[in-house]
Amino acid sequence: MTVALNLAQVALLVLGAPLVRGIIARWKARLQRRRGASIWRPYADLFKLLRKEELVPPTASAVFRAAPVVLFAATVCAAAFVPVVQPAALLASGGDFILLTYVLVVARFFLSLGALDGGSAFGGMGASREALVSSLAEAPFLLGLTAVAILARHADLAGIVAWTLDQSIFNVSAVHILAFTSLAMVTLAETGRMPVDNPTTHLELTMIHEGMVLEYSGPSLALVEWAAAVKLHVMLALLVALFCPWGMAAVAGGWGISAALLLYIMKLLALMALVALIESAVAKLRMYLVPDFLGVASAVSALAVIFTVLVKR
Amino acid sequence: MPMGLIVAALVFLLAVLGLAAPLVLFVGSAPRARKLAMALILAAVAAGSMAGGAGFFGKTNSVLDFSLAAPFRFSLAVDPLSAFFLLLTCGVAIPVTLFAGSYFERHQSEARRRWTWAFFSWFLLSMIVVITAATGFAFLAGWELMTLVSAGLVLIEGDAEERRHNVFIYLVMMHVGAAAVAAAFFFFLPFSHSLDLDALRAAGRALPAGIRVVIFLTAFAGFGTKAGLIPLHLWLPRAHPIAPSPVSALMSGIMLKTAVYGFVRFAFDLLGGGPWWCGYAVLAVAAVTGVLGIFYALAEDDLKRLLAYSSVENIGIIFLGLGAALVFAAHHAAAGATLALVAALLHAWNHAFFKSLLFLGSGAISHSTHSVNLNELGGLQRRMPLTGAAVLVGCCSIAGLPLTNGFVSEWLIFRSFLAGSSLMATKAQVILPLMVGVLGLMGGLAAACFVKAYGTAFLGRPRSAGAEHAEEAPVGMRTGLALLAAGCLLPGIAPGIVLRPLVALAGVLVPGAVVPEETTSIARVIPLVAAIVAGVSLILFLLRGRTTRPARTWACGLPGLSSRMQYTSTTFSKPIRFVFNRVYRPDRRIEQLPLDTPYFPVSISYRSVRTTSFEKSLYRPVVDRIVWMAQGLRRMQTGNIQIYLLYIFLALVSLLALLRFEQ
Repeated sequence: MTVALNLAQVALLVLGAPLVRGIIARWKARLQRRRGASIWRPYADLFKLLRKEELVPPTASAVFRAAPVVLFAATVCAAAFVPVVQPAALLASGGDFILLTYVLVVARFFLSLGALDGGSAFGGMGASREALVSSLAEAPFLLGLTAVAILARHADLAGIVAWTLDQSIFNVSAVHILAFTSLAMVTLAETGRMPVDNPTTHLELTMIHEGMVLEYSGPSLALVEWAAAVKLHVMLALLVALFCPWGMAAVAGGWGISAALLLYIMKLLALMALVALIESAVAKLRMYLVPDFLGVASAVSALAVIFTVLVKR
Repeated sequence: MPMGLIVAALVFLLAVLGLAAPLVLFVGSAPRARKLAMALILAAVAAGSMAGGAGFFGKTNSVLDFSLAAPFRFSLAVDPLSAFFLLLTCGVAIPVTLFAGSYFERHQSEARRRWTWAFFSWFLLSMIVVITAATGFAFLAGWELMTLVSAGLVLIEGDAEERRHNVFIYLVMMHVGAAAVAAAFFFFLPFSHSLDLDALRAAGRALPAGIRVVIFLTAFAGFGTKAGLIPLHLWLPRAHPIAPSPVSALMSGIMLKTAVYGFVRFAFDLLGGGPWWCGYAVLAVAAVTGVLGIFYALAEDDLKRLLAYSSVENIGIIFLGLGAALVFAAHHAAAGATLALVAALLHAWNHAFFKSLLFLGSGAISHSTHSVNLNELGGLQRRMPLTGAAVLVGCCSIAGLPLTNGFVSEWLIFRSFLAGSSLMATKAQVILPLMVGVLGLMGGLAAACFVKAYGTAFLGRPRSAGAEHAEEAPVGMRTGLALLAAGCLLPGIAPGIVLRPLVALAGVLVPGAVVPEETTSIARVIPLVAAIVAGVSLILFLLRGRTTRPARTWACGLPGLSSRMQYTSTTFSKPIRFVFNRVYRPDRRIEQLPLDTPYFPVSISYRSVRTTSFEKSLYRPVVDRIVWMAQGLRRMQTGNIQIYLLYIFLALVSLLALLRFEQ
């Protein structure tokens, strides 16, 4: 039963991911007074890409086609860390947040390699910019999670979530506010969202993620796009699990799980609305202002860690 | 393996590396003698790794005393700590020797090869003497031999002006470091009356606080010079890249670890921990070393220099672990100290494997393309698939990706920082968890750095004719690379095999040690992660269509892409170099000709030199001062014989006067 539920959580995170993208895109369109595409559009796109022929640059090596597979596998593995409807997940008690972070680094590492293997200028450009953003995003991400883990006295996500469930919802500490702020900023940067990267652009001056995937087509592109969607979903689910897990089913029962799922969807929708709002309201930062953005995130997360000393007593 | 056999293996090791292998080289006919010497060296290091393994896994102590044959007390001993490093040295030496057999045959003139092999053998010998030394004299003798032989190996490659300058800097800094190490030994003398490590250990627990601090600091400075801690790292990026690749692999992979060994021996074994602030001091130096090291590595375009700077970073990571262990030890938190010490030693172990692998990979690249400049490489994965795969494993390991050995040790260091939050002191509660961010920054930059290194060397299009016509490295080189790659992957997927004996070793060094639960939990979860990643990858591989169509990349309407349109190593690191301009402080010069028509230049030359700020602001004033004093003393050297006779006379008179007053 628990194993089945854990697998179901992973399936929810992986299969629901395109819908998250679709809803955000739809809401963004509405905020910009456009009608927007159907929220199911990402599924149609994936389906179309999976059936199409795959084009490979003649100079590319085996890495070019292996990279999307590793990227997708690592992202699915990251999804196995995050508790969704119950304070447990496949890897949530065995693995900790550091392992989760580095599994995501694997994904990024291979995507960058695939981009460089394309042999065009754009792939290298995307990979180079990604290197700047992601290398600076890692420290605040780890520090933010460290602050929460110190308070919970657990490094594994299951332990952190279980501890948070025991706390009163009205008893929010400064550490949590700071950690949430920094992690939310990092989430925007890591998933290629405004104001760091524009997911809809194809203009060489601005693109980061889109530059990296430019040479991919067919099933490989489908894997890359799907993995990006899963990553966004995983990061949002992580924010929900760490900072607002209340409502999760402590014991596995039909009603509890259903209620938890419903609550999860509502919390996720709220976060998605926030993303859509930020993306519509904020202009994209100049490339060289992104380090400042992440610098603020780092400072906030460092403060969160320092404040744990005061809060713990 | 009983103690007698360990001693026998050690005697065999010393005899073969010190005498037999070099003797064979100079007696026999050239090619066959080299094969025999190589076989002898392999047999010796195999015996050495068995002895090391027996000592490490079996926790025995063996002593080999040469004092009767030497003017000073000279004896070697294999205790668990020495055995760990002995196993590491000999284990890494096997693939490196295999690689070297193939490499030296192709890269050196006939006359130099036998000297190269002889020095290679002595170099291994010197490192083994250092890590098994049981007396101060044996240690210092090995230490000095190590410096001289490695300098010799660098000089065998050639003696151009720049190379000699670099070797000079190497030798000077090594001897300053050796002086500090020797001083650290001699400071014990008034209390121990002997330089045997056993006597030092006995004296170490009862030293006065002042002398303890002095010993700790001199040992830290001395071993820090050898390890390449910033700002004492100046020699490292100069000496490592210009050595032949197998020698670079030994220098970065193992020689730096002898400094780690020395520091662990002094700080944990002999002194049993330093003053309370020493852990924080080590942490601070290590953090600066790690962050600056990886920043500098990221900016390098020469693969071997990049690897050398990355060694600086990894030494930073190792000392972060050691610093954390000292902090825990100062607060009497045995579990945390064990965890951090295990993490640091494991990272030393891992770094030996992946850095040797990458240096050998750079050797294979230079063999095939005659260049290690990343801007002239590219597209090698298609041309040298096995070398490429091995180097990819090395790059993943050094970037600390899960399922490789690099991740396990970095994870343990992360967890030891996290454990710092449960200490009683507020300082430790704040500083140790904040180090998570520092290590995270290093990890992020290291990933970027090795995406760049592997991506520009092995992926995309070839950027030069050399890379275009590269061929796979010969069998000997590939065997060495494959063995090291396996050594990176195996502990990455099954960490328990190294962790269990390491925890036992740390138990010897840390009083009241317990088995940290982190070391068992990582061994449980990693295979699960491996299973998930492998399973999903396998399913995708099976489901995905085989058919692809090669299609030229769209070149924005131009006739076709050329390799010059790709991002190079220089452009890849440009955003980071631009943002962190303050770190690099590049020294840029643009010269434009002719000067009078600025808008119609005939030629523009641009030169940018980085990472010279330490030289300029720290070393230059000191060196200038020394040279100035030497210039002053030079006036005494007139070349006039009468003046020299006067000096002798004056010296005689003053000595006589001195003797007179003594009585």
